[in-house]
Amino acid sequence: MAKKKNKQILRPWCWYCEREFEDEKVLMQHQKAKHFKCNMCPRRLNTAGGLAVHIQQVHKLEPENLPRIENALPGRDGYEVEIFGMEGIPAPDVADYKRRKEIELGLSAGSISQPQAKRPKTENRPLTEEELKAQLEAHKALMGASEAPAAPTTDASQGGVYGAPPQAYAAPPTPAVVPPMPGLPPGAPPFFPGMPPPPGAFPGQMPFPPFPGMPGMPGPPPPGFPVPPFPPMGMMPPGASPPFPPPPGALRAPVPGFPPFPPGASPPFGAPGMPTPPLIPGATPMPPSASVTPNPSQYTPNGPPHGGATPSAQPPQLTLPDPTLAQTNPELKKKTSLKYEDPNFSPDERRAIHPRYYFAKGQLASASESKTDAAQISASDESRGKKRARAEDFL
Amino acid sequence: MAFFGSTTSANVSNNADKDIEVADPPSDSISSLSFSPAADYLAVGSWDNNVRVYEVGPNGQTQGKAMYPHQAPVLSTCWTKDGTKIISGGADNAARLYDVQTSQSQQVAQHDGPVKVVKWIETPQGGILATGSWDKTIKYWDMRTPNPIATVQLPERCYTLDVAYPLMVVGTAERHIQIFNLSNPNTAYKTMVSPLKWQTRVVSCFPTSNGFAVGSVEGRVAIQYVDDKDAQNNFSFKCHRRDQAPNSKDQSLVFAVNDIAFHPVHGTFSTCGSDGTINFWDKDSRVRLKTFEPCPGPISSTAFNRTGTIFAYAVSYDWSKGHSGATPGHPNKIMLHATKEEEVKKRQKTR
Repeated sequence: MAKKKNKQILRPWCWYCEREFEDEKVLMQHQKAKHFKCNMCPRRLNTAGGLAVHIQQVHKLEPENLPRIENALPGRDGYEVEIFGMEGIPAPDVADYKRRKEIELGLSAGSISQPQAKRPKTENRPLTEEELKAQLEAHKALMGASEAPAAPTTDASQGGVYGAPPQAYAAPPTPAVVPPMPGLPPGAPPFFPGMPPPPGAFPGQMPFPPFPGMPGMPGPPPPGFPVPPFPPMGMMPPGASPPFPPPPGALRAPVPGFPPFPPGASPPFGAPGMPTPPLIPGATPMPPSASVTPNPSQYTPNGPPHGGATPSAQPPQLTLPDPTLAQTNPELKKKTSLKYEDPNFSPDERRAIHPRYYFAKGQLASASESKTDAAQISASDESRGKKRARAEDFL
Repeated sequence: MAFFGSTTSANVSNNADKDIEVADPPSDSISSLSFSPAADYLAVGSWDNNVRVYEVGPNGQTQGKAMYPHQAPVLSTCWTKDGTKIISGGADNAARLYDVQTSQSQQVAQHDGPVKVVKWIETPQGGILATGSWDKTIKYWDMRTPNPIATVQLPERCYTLDVAYPLMVVGTAERHIQIFNLSNPNTAYKTMVSPLKWQTRVVSCFPTSNGFAVGSVEGRVAIQYVDDKDAQNNFSFKCHRRDQAPNSKDQSLVFAVNDIAFHPVHGTFSTCGSDGTINFWDKDSRVRLKTFEPCPGPISSTAFNRTGTIFAYAVSYDWSKGHSGATPGHPNKIMLHATKEEEVKKRQKTR
């Protein structure tokens, strides 16, 4: 068997001086003699730690002025690493050594550091219809076929998360990041027609509406990009725009007659038998700023929150509610560099006011005001029935 | 004072070899990880405004299962006890509830400032939701009404909160710590100043609910017992520090402790920091059980699954160096580590 191949190539070596040895026994003798020898008495220790303790206790040296380990390579003359023969060598150093050894021996990269790869199993069985189809689609996608793959057929029987088919979280096309459309590698799309993603995936819309001028977007979904599925029941044709601008909280996508909870699913939070109405802005007296309504202004191409473009409201400076209570960091005992030095605000607070992340409350409030009616409709649509009357009262 | 003897037996594993990366990670930094208490499902909150749900298979393979958005970055996620719903809090000042059976999400809580923490509290009378916000309040919600059951005014902005019923501990700005007995959730059972002298980053309750751990930005963790009679067991220790130069032993680079997670079975815990390292500790025998190989970026969040067999950690930017540290190529990934018994089991007390 070629199992011990590595051993033949890599002989035991000393971490301190990178010398190679016939076997570990010799290596340990070498380390004892060359590196773990006390220079104040004839004593030889087994490990660096042992040497350190010996020098501190026998020769009464302070831990600060321990002599460096003798005959060692620069950077490897410390006592932190506990080496015993080949044991205790830091993994990065092992990898580094192997890499250098590979180059030295003229071997291909990874021939030492990685075990021989098993020959991949090749299956000779004939492919099934679906697999052939999937491969064809993948191939088409790779070829950048101009015709989009057929819209995925969504079957409404899917549940939520449990037992849902897999889904890939393709990065939403944020302009700040790589342009996703042409650049997105179409290789190996995790799901493709015939394997519809769950309803919760990209419900009825892209994370952002099409950016004008973005290639490929207004038309059929580009190959390779996870095709947005449609709400389970009220299906919309692929090209048609939804009745409302895509709401951010589109999981509550208006589906006529969609029950708040599907029959059979347990009603939320105890209350057996009592179907609890979900909280719906407009239907329940939620403060207007609280309502999570479709918020078109936030998602217009001009001002996507992630766009890196100018958000409509400038993020405020972080201000202490009471400046007199401002904290200062206490003195550090010794020379220390504290990596996060602000005593008054957490990194998360600083991050949340950065323009890239800042969420202006005004943005939401104004948007929800202008869109109240849409919210009403969506709210009443969502649970048409007893909600209807209340929503109309509100109007 | 090194309370935790760095035992030579602390096994360093080359985690890059063994730990499994979660497929399709979020597109921006990961703020929060939480496992379902019912199954191996992982909810991940991200600064890209979305909450993602992954299924973790028996061999660590992961599969994206669902995703829902907030209007602003997500700061915290948690699950209900039965694992049927996910609650998330975000910088849009709202907490949202996502039903994993119906794939519906709805808003369930509202604050005047970003919701930093959401925690599910399983009381004998039923479950309630606690939300802690930078608007200096904690609110309790039963989620059937749009108004909170109760609101607690905090001395400062809520930075962190943890619950091990009936204990709830809140860490705020300016180093206040409030301890609540949840049989009387409206007033603090005890208010104290953090035992650590630097900004509180995280608090985490012991599963035995008789104490908690506090982590600060100054690479230090304090173990604190609630009861005064256990006070002699309180201690703090340094961690997540690095030497200025490889051969100096000064440990002068001090990083923030970003998260502390307790093992649900053994009561040992993990700490993770901006330095990209993770350690497992046993607070009772005061030893370090395991050191991870340093990761290429800060560890922003960690979580054990319900049985403690999987340890998830997020390698992503934690804003510790401000805006300038947010480079496009910064690593952003979730790793799963299969815990070994000896890494998480308590050691025999040696002293």
